[in-house]
Amino acid sequence: MLRRIISIFKRDLKVNLKDFISLYIFVIPVLFAIAINLFTPGINDTTINLALLEGENPEQVRYFKDFAKVELFGDIDNIKSRVKARDDIVAILPNQENYYIMSQGNEPKGVIEFAKILNSFYQLDIQIEDTNVEIKDFKRTIPPLKKQLVNTAILFISILGGMLIAINIVEEKVDNTISAINLTPTTRKTFILGKSIIGLLLAIFGSLVLIFITGFTDTNLIQLLMIVFVSTLLSLLVGFIQGLNNDDIMNAAGSIKLLFLPLIAGALAIELLADKWQKFFYWNPFYWAYKGNDAVLSKTGSWKEILFYSSMVLILSTVVYLFLAPKIRKGLE
Amino acid sequence: MIKVKNLYHSYSNDDNYAVKDVSFEVTKGEIFGFLGPSGAGKSTTQNILTGLLELQKGEVSVAGYDIKKIIPKMFNKIGMSFEQSNVYSKLTAKENLEFYRKLFDVKTRNPDELLRLVGLKGKENKKTGDFSKGMKHRLTFARSMINNPELWFLDEPTTGLDPAIASEIKNIIKEQNDKGVTIFLTTHNMYIAEELCNRVAFIIDGEIKLIDSPKNLKLQYGDKLVEVEYIENGNLIQETFSTVIKSDKKKLQNLIGKHEIQTMHTKEATLEEIFIKVTGRRLV
Ligand SMILES: Nc1ncnc2c1ncn2[C@@H]1O[C@H](COP(=O)(O)OP(=O)(O)OP(=O)(O)O)[C@@H](O)[C@H]1O
Ligand SMILES: [Mg+2]
Repeated sequence: MLRRIISIFKRDLKVNLKDFISLYIFVIPVLFAIAINLFTPGINDTTINLALLEGENPEQVRYFKDFAKVELFGDIDNIKSRVKARDDIVAILPNQENYYIMSQGNEPKGVIEFAKILNSFYQLDIQIEDTNVEIKDFKRTIPPLKKQLVNTAILFISILGGMLIAINIVEEKVDNTISAINLTPTTRKTFILGKSIIGLLLAIFGSLVLIFITGFTDTNLIQLLMIVFVSTLLSLLVGFIQGLNNDDIMNAAGSIKLLFLPLIAGALAIELLADKWQKFFYWNPFYWAYKGNDAVLSKTGSWKEILFYSSMVLILSTVVYLFLAPKIRKGLE
Repeated sequence: MIKVKNLYHSYSNDDNYAVKDVSFEVTKGEIFGFLGPSGAGKSTTQNILTGLLELQKGEVSVAGYDIKKIIPKMFNKIGMSFEQSNVYSKLTAKENLEFYRKLFDVKTRNPDELLRLVGLKGKENKKTGDFSKGMKHRLTFARSMINNPELWFLDEPTTGLDPAIASEIKNIIKEQNDKGVTIFLTTHNMYIAEELCNRVAFIIDGEIKLIDSPKNLKLQYGDKLVEVEYIENGNLIQETFSTVIKSDKKKLQNLIGKHEIQTMHTKEATLEEIFIKVTGRRLV
């Protein structure tokens, strides 16, 4: 079974790599990542960047490392040029008895405030256990736009996986080759699994590429992949159905675009609507996937939380599957 | 090799049958011809035998497997050449075969050798989307024997091919049969059927009218065919009558009594003429 699944996947890959539209779909995650980086300059990280003088106060460095990303430099000149760089980094430098903050001037206010507070906390000897409230409070002041864009892009990429599958199913339909496959020991299950792989891999690799380029590298990748996996299942299902129902690649891809609607609705509901409206979106798998991604990307997600969101997506996708499975099976006859 | 008993099939799931009460058996090593006009139910029957269509009513066993509950292993033993060629147009001829062979569990034939056999040597690395109809058809035919099938279904294997290639295909079919392969051949082409088949079934409107060997049919109808040219209302009309079928004999007597006969001679019946006599219908 595995051998056949891999053969089917390799065939799809070979065809897709020679085809303009599917090649384009392959590079979309990279384009997304670049676009997100361009549109949200200066928010490369959800944590704060600090530049410090090396060897000046090792205890302070250790303390700051608990709360921020610390970069060490040999002298003031190096720090100056680093602070001038495009991203948001501020320096905390000694000034006789005291410390002062050096900034470029274009950093968000929150970053400066954070640096000030952190410095005061250090001097007052407040430990990480005492400062929980302040840290969380600060997090909200970081512009969440980049995180939101990356989150939406991840879900979008999962839909692209479905699109790719639809394209490949349309090919089998137009060439009428499914009947030839049905006359080999390949079972329908094997065929479906084989055809799914390329969509799943696109979603997984696409998401990884996206978070690496946009700088979310330090998120919990296993949690991320879990959410990507479950949210892709739904797109794959829709990809199969639309592939079987259409004789034309563009039509198939077009009907898959319908999935963007619940995706956007889920994202907007979470970002914009008050708590009392949330329950109206519980039916929407993308709603839960978005929540899951958000928890992963902000690194606030406990495993319990992530598992809950994943299960919600999985349960809702299963409902869709139970509804669509007979149609898929029939379409493959 | 094939056993079919009281097979019915309706596409609309009602009493409107495309195949009605069809029963026949094909023995090991035989070439069995399934002959009938368009829409007779040939492909329907064949698709049920290969599991492409669901078995609704009747008993069917193929290569020792009950079709009611098909197990995937069965497909290692059978091959099918489709009436309408169906290959991946974005892959080359060779890539098509290389992919297909990996889907079987049994020893498969070398794609290059198969392509040479059907006259596609030199075209191995050409995308089949750029193939002519006949070339695609030959590729579909070649693909059907990649798993060395014991039982080989051929739906119109020579249709649309030029005579030289058709004759090559005919030879390949003969060779396979000599190696012991059982063949279920669906065709309109009576000459191919006459030449290749050990037995033929005539099917019309979903029903089998007769099953016999071409040799027996010829013995039965052979010299007993009369071709008559006569004049009716000033027109010269040509008609063929059997001297064994009762209604034909009557018509012939009538004709001789009423019309002016121009020519009249007996001749050997072709399978096609026998078909028309037996079923009252033309093949195409
Ligand atoms: N998918 C289908 N849905 C509904 N009716 C069908 C379908 N396929 C075939 N039929 C009908 O079933 C009957 C038998 O068709 P079938 O394809 O078996 O004929 P055939 O003998 O193979 O003809 P041909 O020589 O043209 O290939 C025809 O009346 C046809 O219209
Ligand atoms: Mg047919």
